[in-house]
Amino acid sequence: MTDLTKLEKWRSALNKCIRCGYCYDQCPIYKETGWEADSPRGKLILLYGMLSGEIEPSDYLANKMFECFHCNRCEKACSSGVPIQDVYNDARAFFIENGFDVVGTTSITDHEICARCLNCVRMCKHEARSFVDGKVVTDLLKCQSCGSCLDICPEKGITIQRGFGTNPNELLDKVDAFLKDPDNPEAKAIVFSCGYSSHPGLRHAESDDFVISREYEILVTACSGRLKSHTVLETLERGAWGVLICCCPEDECEHGGSPRVQERMKNLAKIMERIDIDPKRLQVVEVPQGNEAKFTEATKKFMEDIRAMGPLAPEPEMAGSAR
Amino acid sequence: MNAATIGKLKEIVGDDNVLDNPADLYVYGSDSSVHEALPDVVVRPRNAGQVQEIMRYANNERIPVIPRGSGSGMCGQVVPVKGGIVLDMKAMNRILEINLQDGYCRVEPGVVDDDLNKALKPHGVFYPPTPASSVVATIGGEIANNASGGRSVKYGAARDAVLAVKVVLASGELLSFGSTTRVAASGYALERLMVGSEGTLAVIVEACLRFVPIPKLRCLGSAKFNKLSEAGDAIAGIMGGGCQPSMLELIDKVAIVAVNKANNLGLPEVEAILLYEADGMAKEMIDVEIGKIEDICRKHKGFDMESSYEANERARIWAGRAKLFPSLSKYDESLASTSLADDMAVPFSKMAECADKIHEIADRHGLVMTAYGHCGAGCMHTKILMETDKEISWEHARAAVSEIYDFVRSVGGTTSAEHGIGMSKAGAFKKEKAASLELMRAIKRAFDPNNILNPGKLMDGPDDWVGETTLRYQSS
Repeated sequence: MTDLTKLEKWRSALNKCIRCGYCYDQCPIYKETGWEADSPRGKLILLYGMLSGEIEPSDYLANKMFECFHCNRCEKACSSGVPIQDVYNDARAFFIENGFDVVGTTSITDHEICARCLNCVRMCKHEARSFVDGKVVTDLLKCQSCGSCLDICPEKGITIQRGFGTNPNELLDKVDAFLKDPDNPEAKAIVFSCGYSSHPGLRHAESDDFVISREYEILVTACSGRLKSHTVLETLERGAWGVLICCCPEDECEHGGSPRVQERMKNLAKIMERIDIDPKRLQVVEVPQGNEAKFTEATKKFMEDIRAMGPLAPEPEMAGSAR
Repeated sequence: MNAATIGKLKEIVGDDNVLDNPADLYVYGSDSSVHEALPDVVVRPRNAGQVQEIMRYANNERIPVIPRGSGSGMCGQVVPVKGGIVLDMKAMNRILEINLQDGYCRVEPGVVDDDLNKALKPHGVFYPPTPASSVVATIGGEIANNASGGRSVKYGAARDAVLAVKVVLASGELLSFGSTTRVAASGYALERLMVGSEGTLAVIVEACLRFVPIPKLRCLGSAKFNKLSEAGDAIAGIMGGGCQPSMLELIDKVAIVAVNKANNLGLPEVEAILLYEADGMAKEMIDVEIGKIEDICRKHKGFDMESSYEANERARIWAGRAKLFPSLSKYDESLASTSLADDMAVPFSKMAECADKIHEIADRHGLVMTAYGHCGAGCMHTKILMETDKEISWEHARAAVSEIYDFVRSVGGTTSAEHGIGMSKAGAFKKEKAASLELMRAIKRAFDPNNILNPGKLMDGPDDWVGETTLRYQSS
């Protein structure tokens, strides 16, 4: 029988969760899978079930606790004030201490590929990576699954195995699904949004006086710093008239990705200009959390620019499947 | 559940849409109520054809099927008390048509209320039942429970918005009820029979809903009262006096104290606050409406009245109501907020008396209960705040719930205004509907002769929600 004593202190908090489900709309993991055990409510129910002895701890259950992008939107939306991240953290520690096999959304290094440059160790804002016995290892309790280490690894030796829609290939699948939707002839542009800072603001914007448009799709990345130039170019190639990137202000970015993506996109814009693609088709804006006015203003201007430019023509702007 | 059944279900919907891990089953065994029970399997259909195949199979094998939206119901409507298949309908979430010319939209049942309204908003219209849980509630669940919300006083509940539905019967047959037209005079209104049926008659696979124009202007006001009875008189005066508010909400002193305690809002701790809203296309008409409401409040000793059209001011006036639900959970570290006696409706003239009665009963049983609600619709909500780990708390809660609903019936009220019956309120519901229970059971048999659709709910629910169900809380 596994000792659950360390989790006992959360019994009262778990009792207080009224299971309203208001966290569902906030959780990028749940929004991706649609399964209730992937939602914050579901995970709290699982922990309650463990404490009450109704379900046994398992690798399956342990991995649920590590499948999280640490955006903390669930906790902010919680109608019962449950300190969800604190509960998760203790649960995660419990699963590690008890030897469960967990990966979740944490970043994993392929030691065969790793060049031991230690860039990832130096740049991780969460001190989640260290060099031990000749190998770079991830502290699973500290990793925030932001993906910054994937971004800066020169050897492409780090992965987040289950990206829940945030890995580049998954983002491009969503680009295709939106731009090629036969029921939405208005589809024009893609908005890539940071999942930590700007996106909660966008959700707020959508739900108040802001009218969401069928002309663009908001795709949530993890930290915007993960967004690569080739993903943006590929998005244009697949038919987008333009791409807007909403990142958090540099001084608010907890993962260090905002300055990187801004610099990268400046360089990409120069390249676009050289190959006769109007650089205004790529815009980057800093959106502080909850600032719907900023998002509204940015998307309005962006869409006006995009509409004025029209679709990317196959020639001379770019060969491909522009609509 | 045996491997052959799991295999058959996977054959119908694909391996990725079937869950039978104990952890998943445990999650799908509860909702926002106090109850829990384990299903045998969770299945996620993608289209009506798959629902038909699942129902045909389940009917032949006599396996219970429980259609489920987001599981935000508060009375145990989707708790699988007889095990079986939980049919997770959330993947059927397409908005199929927005027909502005004919004034309707067609949606699949898994569409979330807020998502539908986001899609309607660019067209200047909205789907009005909108419960407070619209961020998570699905249209299918709202229809099954006849959901409503703050603005239902003017715009009606789900039942008023449903023009037609497509359903799959227990036999697997796909049928359409209702019409896309605004009027359909004759025959039994089977589409309306689906509303409030809590998944016991058929699986809703499509709904045709009417919508209404979004008003250009909204004005929100508030009035304070030193006596709950005076606020009650004002409510009856407003609703009986020809006013047409778009919202009329009551917050009692216990609720005000809870909000202040949890959020330090500094609301005046008077006996009652009424919040009133009028909306429309022209300011002159709204001013008249607000003026009429305030005159009536004044007549019944309402004071400190204020109102505003401005968004930030409206948010400030609304803050107490907006913070109420979460405040109840933060009221006291040792108390948890439970969905019990959560919902009822009484005549307008009995609102204040009902609130008083709730407090009297709560005091007598050593429980904390507040009274609030969409009083313009006669709807009263409460929650029981209690020590859920103590068995004696449940005994007190059982007695309090029973006494509250006895009172509600005695003044001509009804057991559910908008949250449904499920299991928590089945005992009270059966007392209220005693004369028509057999007729309801006959209707159930006509739709579902083998009783596989969400068994053990409504008229077949438990008389004693404590003793006859498994509570999700552990107590000793």
